[in-house]
Amino acid sequence: MINIVCEISKFLTILFMVLYTVKCFSIMASNDEEERKRKLNIQIVYVFIIHFLSYLIMYLRLNSVKILVFYGIQIFVAVFYMLVFHSVYKESSRLLTNNTAFMLLIGYTMLTRLDMGLAVKQFIFATVGLIITAFLPYILVKWKKIKDWGVFYGVMGIILLLTVFIPGLGYENFGSRNWIRIGSITLQPMEFVKILFVFFVASMLVKANTIKDLFVNAIISAGFMLVLVLEKDLGAAIIFYITYVFMVYLATSRPIFLIGGVGLGVGAVALAGFLFKDTLFAHVMTRVQAWQDPFAFIDTGGYQVSQSLFALGTGGYLGSGLTKGKAHTIPVSNSDFIFSAICEEMGVLFGLALILVILSIFISFINISLKCRNPFYKYSAFGFATIFIFQSLLNLGGVTKFIPSTGVTLPLISYGVSSVLSTLIIFAIIQGICVISNREAIKNERQKERAKQQLALESGGRIPQKRARKSKKQQN
Amino acid sequence: MSPEEEFLKKEQEKAKNNKIKNRPIIVITYLMVFVYVCLIGYVIYFMQFKAETTIANSRNIRQDSFAETVERGDIITSDGVVIATSSTDEDGNTTRSYPYDNLFAHVVGYDSYGKSGLELQGNFYMLRSHINIFERVVKEIQEEKNRGDNLITTLDYDLQKAAYDALSGCNGAVIVMEPDTGKILVMISKPDFNPNEIDAVWEYLQTEEGASSTILLNRATQGLYAPGSTFKVVTTLEYIRENYNYDKYSYICEGSEIFTGVQIECSSGKVHGELDLADSLAYSCNCSYANIGVELDYASYKDTAEDLLFNKELPYVGSYNSSSFYIDGDSRRDELPQTAIGQGDTMITPLHNALIFSAIANGGVLMEPYLMHSIENDDGATVKKFSPKKYGELMTSDEAAILTDYMKGVCDYGTAAGYFWDASYDVAGKTGTAEYDNEGNCNSWFVGFSNPDNPDIVVSVIVEDYTSNGVSGSWVAKQIFDAYYN
Repeated sequence: MINIVCEISKFLTILFMVLYTVKCFSIMASNDEEERKRKLNIQIVYVFIIHFLSYLIMYLRLNSVKILVFYGIQIFVAVFYMLVFHSVYKESSRLLTNNTAFMLLIGYTMLTRLDMGLAVKQFIFATVGLIITAFLPYILVKWKKIKDWGVFYGVMGIILLLTVFIPGLGYENFGSRNWIRIGSITLQPMEFVKILFVFFVASMLVKANTIKDLFVNAIISAGFMLVLVLEKDLGAAIIFYITYVFMVYLATSRPIFLIGGVGLGVGAVALAGFLFKDTLFAHVMTRVQAWQDPFAFIDTGGYQVSQSLFALGTGGYLGSGLTKGKAHTIPVSNSDFIFSAICEEMGVLFGLALILVILSIFISFINISLKCRNPFYKYSAFGFATIFIFQSLLNLGGVTKFIPSTGVTLPLISYGVSSVLSTLIIFAIIQGICVISNREAIKNERQKERAKQQLALESGGRIPQKRARKSKKQQN
Repeated sequence: MSPEEEFLKKEQEKAKNNKIKNRPIIVITYLMVFVYVCLIGYVIYFMQFKAETTIANSRNIRQDSFAETVERGDIITSDGVVIATSSTDEDGNTTRSYPYDNLFAHVVGYDSYGKSGLELQGNFYMLRSHINIFERVVKEIQEEKNRGDNLITTLDYDLQKAAYDALSGCNGAVIVMEPDTGKILVMISKPDFNPNEIDAVWEYLQTEEGASSTILLNRATQGLYAPGSTFKVVTTLEYIRENYNYDKYSYICEGSEIFTGVQIECSSGKVHGELDLADSLAYSCNCSYANIGVELDYASYKDTAEDLLFNKELPYVGSYNSSSFYIDGDSRRDELPQTAIGQGDTMITPLHNALIFSAIANGGVLMEPYLMHSIENDDGATVKKFSPKKYGELMTSDEAAILTDYMKGVCDYGTAAGYFWDASYDVAGKTGTAEYDNEGNCNSWFVGFSNPDNPDIVVSVIVEDYTSNGVSGSWVAKQIFDAYYN
């Protein structure tokens, strides 16, 4: 009996996941305010169902009351967040709050299955993070001078990155020296520095008028990359670099910066790989080999990717069902390889839908950046969108053998205090930018409206009514 | 223009500017969407075309969890004999049994204490169930195990039995293959064990006596032996490659001669007289081959050996050892005479010898050897079929034809003629007597194939300690060929 309930729940989870994903895109495409509102509410129902069914399976299989209690607290916090955040910030994006809560819940679910202790820890930090970052949009709206602090962001960022080299504070993990330990909490400074980096680049680009300005900016940015390479954190170095190149391309509108930048990056990696293949890049080389043929190196560098592919393949499109697979045997399945764990037990179809949800989050970031007229906010939003989508790409591609694995986390889903906090900060900043640009847009609309009315009165014509409703549409 | 008009115009300008400003964002967005579509396409491609072979990897521990819902399928020979089967008791405990005890010990392997042989190689397939969906649902609800798929091997029961009986009490190994497909029909290694009593075997291996035992070693694929005179085939190939007028070769054997300070004698002190290359091989004249050996180009000799997969990985899925050949450009001259006749440091497995002769039989082309023929569900419908795969060309078809021709002489009038002169079929092959110590104790080899014009099967036999038990490789091979043709 339990078997049948669990099997049916598994299929329903996938079904509602697909429906949720469809909604993500149809909400973005929708122009009608009422329809959007209705769809957003349905989305919350879907989140609730997916989460409920997943915990139902785990409860039936593991028969633990602790799971039920944990479930209750989670869904309460998530629904509370989805409803309250929007009522405080009327101009924020509800689609984004829904997705934030959804991604966190998927993460908690898989972590509960893998390691309840970690799941609780993640939940506590994420909830604290949600509360703290809830103030960020407010701060952003008030703090008009944020764009003038470019030099400060740059210097601060590099100093923070360098903390990992302080003896006793920084330490090495998984072959990269990019961690610090404060008490019992371990952090990756890079996760927070990437936020400073985006602000730094945006601020410098807003002010840059000459090639010389761009050059100075490039030198300091190269400093970030250099420190990351010395930390042997290649994944982060790639994310920073691509973000930098994309932002310069946006600021200059010159394709040459995009093509040249990417070409230069590829060349640099190839050259560095060639020059330092036995020293600084030794562990990168192992990863490239493991990517080409993980099964030939299954006892060494290819172990993780082999296990990940076994998980995907054995789980199949429909998955083994939560707790029924061997997801806990995938190395670092609670962090970098959580996507493989999700695919194995919840199904590859679920995983594919999750990839689309991530893509939809990127597109909603982009939409906010597109609408924004203030260049600093526009560049920042675009920079954060790049970081989010590129980090996800490195993670998803790495665990599926699409590209060599670089050891980065999947935003909001992977376990990791720094990772989840920094992603929540990014999401909150994006919401802040959304609020700012929406308010500005509404203000503009009103002014336009007034000007038109004035003109209409002067010419004795009628007042164009249909304009009045449009301002509302801007709110997402 | 009124200030209002001016304002509206400015606004319009701003919106237009924003649109231009946004162009790079649109470009990057399309770019990233494209990359993600590729990622999704790749995952689907992996699931459709790569997943099955990936998860069949014997290192995938998830296979064992299938055993909770599936009763391991049978292993069946190509002629329909069940050689491994499972039964499940009322509590759902499955036991594995092997109806023919020791007969298929090494090739089928065992299912506990870590797996081996076909039990390991085919583990994944036997733990999958492809019976019809209704039966599966019914069993699911009754919480009974489904019958797993059966593994149909390329093994031939009658031939395996004949070879097993021929080898009787001797230690050694036999491997029989089809040269044109790579199907392995027989694989035997002795001493062996009874897989039904694997617990006792394991206990025995823990004892002091058992610790030095090699009963679990599959000599057919892992046993490294001196190739003895079977290696003269390699030397012949090298000689042909270096000398276009190889058919003019001539040597007068006086039973013993000193080459580069090393004394070489023909077996039993026989004096062969005047020989050409074909006769040298047929009579397996050691002096003639030492004479050839010292003239050979070392580096080229090594290349030819490596063309034939010495010092290389073999295209075989199970566990095996690589053969070794040590001569290269830096070797001392006095190593050559011994190496040319298959003594010295050269080592080969019966499997590898079978592969070399299989390539000769198949016009120089080696087919990958394989043991798994197909997978059938419990109702006998084929679920998956493994097809023959070409490995590559080890030598030209002309070279293969010359070697075949010479090796026919071995069985027509040469060293193996005593066994095959009255056979109803033709055989091309090579005998070998390889010393394994300094007291003249020898292992006996025979490697060859029947019906040389259109080869049927390749047989590779090694009998250990021929000197004391008197069973020769050629005799065992004869019994196998007889069983095949009768």
